[in-house]
Amino acid sequence: MSGSLNTIRKIREALEARPGEIERLKSEGRKVVGWINYNIPEELILALDLIPLRLGKGGDDRLVELGSRWISTKNCVFVRELVGLFAENEDPYIAASDLVAVDATCMQIFRAGEIVQYYFKKPVVILGVPRSFATPEGAEYFRHEVGHFAERLEDFAGRKITREALTESVALLGAIRSALDEIYTWQAADGALISWRETLEVVQAGNVLDRRRYLSLLHELVSELQEKQATDEIVDDREEARIFLSGSIVPPGDRKIVGILEELGARIVGDDLWSGLAPQLGVEVAEPTIAGIADAYLGRVPHGALPYLDLASDRRIANLKDLVDRFKAHAVVYHTLRYCDPYTFKGNETKIVLSEEGIPFLELHTEYSGSDYEAIRTRAEAFVELVRNRNLLEV
Amino acid sequence: MPEENSIGNGVFAGVDVGSLGTKSVVLRGSEIVGKVIIPSRLNSEEGGQEALDLALEDAGLTRADVDFIVSTGYGRISATYANKTVTEITCHAKGANFLHPNVRTIIDIGGQDCKAIRVDRNGAVVDFAMNDKCAAGTGRFLEVMSNVFKVPLSELGELSLKATQAIPMSSTCTVFVESEVISLLARGENPANIIAGIHHAIANRVGGLFARVGIESEVYFSGGVAKNVGMKKAVEKALKVVVAEPKIDPQLTGALGAAALARAFAAKEAANRILAA
Repeated sequence: MSGSLNTIRKIREALEARPGEIERLKSEGRKVVGWINYNIPEELILALDLIPLRLGKGGDDRLVELGSRWISTKNCVFVRELVGLFAENEDPYIAASDLVAVDATCMQIFRAGEIVQYYFKKPVVILGVPRSFATPEGAEYFRHEVGHFAERLEDFAGRKITREALTESVALLGAIRSALDEIYTWQAADGALISWRETLEVVQAGNVLDRRRYLSLLHELVSELQEKQATDEIVDDREEARIFLSGSIVPPGDRKIVGILEELGARIVGDDLWSGLAPQLGVEVAEPTIAGIADAYLGRVPHGALPYLDLASDRRIANLKDLVDRFKAHAVVYHTLRYCDPYTFKGNETKIVLSEEGIPFLELHTEYSGSDYEAIRTRAEAFVELVRNRNLLEV
Repeated sequence: MPEENSIGNGVFAGVDVGSLGTKSVVLRGSEIVGKVIIPSRLNSEEGGQEALDLALEDAGLTRADVDFIVSTGYGRISATYANKTVTEITCHAKGANFLHPNVRTIIDIGGQDCKAIRVDRNGAVVDFAMNDKCAAGTGRFLEVMSNVFKVPLSELGELSLKATQAIPMSSTCTVFVESEVISLLARGENPANIIAGIHHAIANRVGGLFARVGIESEVYFSGGVAKNVGMKKAVEKALKVVVAEPKIDPQLTGALGAAALARAFAAKEAANRILAA
């Protein structure tokens, strides 16, 4: 059963030590690039020997309120909290960032980047993102933007990206993604030794840990899971509600939906969240060049914020169905944050597509405040009852 | 599965602790033998206990006679007297199915929320949608309106039937509508027309929920608001459906569903005991 893995304890210890470690590295002259969103190619940051930190937290209404002084309340709570984090400047990773990199995938986050530069005087570099990755014009624009982004990073680092360094960073991040993908398979297994919540914790530890140290911890975790496999038990999952989590971001610190589902005895077995598994999938770098990196990111499943009108060929829907199947989920909980319009708008069409496959779907629309906690809990509980009832009838 | 009448005393109870009313229904086999509706207490545990005891008294029974109790409603979590808790969504579905087996769609408007529920032929929930977190378009909303009009809540429906037209309302937000109604009254609008407008605004909001889950005949209207004839008429018009005539007070549907589920759980437990023996 989950909850007893040594490597998870080590990852938590590494996280505790990380702010101090970054402070030391900065005093030795290393520079930090904090990045936000989905399409920033970390390969380029690492190839310049800069320290990449993926920024952003959730679940803190106080910071949301603080952020709302600078950004409209018609932005989602994640974005408002992000602005609140910069306003407060007490988060060690926000404070440590010498340069903030933002990709213009989600336009609310792009706006947050503007606010960070304008009000909080942090240097910000924007990576332009086309509204469509599928058109030749969109692809060409993105390649150009990645090239420009690389130049800005080179100026900041005071050096040039070499093929050797890029080869190394591509291999490092490729190995990390592959290990995370393997861990996702472990968490979905019968009688899993690691839970989805722990897996998400591991993924999000990678936002800030030193990437080489992180890879070594991931390998250690996989070895530990392999060693303990012999004690694995097969469980009867008829009473189990295996839930796949989709929709808006669930960043570090946001425990609301996950906590409610777990409290109800549901088991989350996978996700396609851009704060979870999504960025780990499908990055195939054919050649270690800047153009090669751009093409690899173009090849990924597009982020939900990018419009895609043709539902039948929407890769996000196909990816969702594949992952539901891969993790043997019984149902999908689709989490949407208020004012996270891209995901909210796609809720109903996603429901229609999944219902054609007989997959139950529940949208939970919420924020970080606790005022709707019981209402969300009732919906989630009724959905878990529906799923369990269905499972028992199918036996 | 053992015959339900042969399980213990064959007595099953459901308790629905809502935000405004606490309801309890007692079944002996398939027959409703006791029922009660009381105002909800500040302490939901005590309110639930009281409703259960009153329903049992109505049935001429005591706690010792009850084989299984299911609690539901927002106060279900504080129900030490219950053997099991189930959400009101599942209970309203089961209750509607108990009364009207052909019902496939349920509208439930309670004290602080409204729900659209689709069920299968067994009364199992297939899909559902609920309103957002505020009390717009719920029983609480109508309660506030009855205070504005100085008319008892139970008479709002009848009054709306005297309307010559429904005045369009710009919102279902309790606070905004209250000020809008006060302005309309100050302008000398007919109160019946305003109340009819309020009912139509709520009904249209319910229609939005059904856009997400779909409508399939027959349709049943449960919850305290279903007792409002004007509301029922507005729902029928907005959804273009005929709502089934309730066989009992529709506010009791959740408690009845809880009692019906208590009967099913007791039967399952009895079957498990036989298998284990």
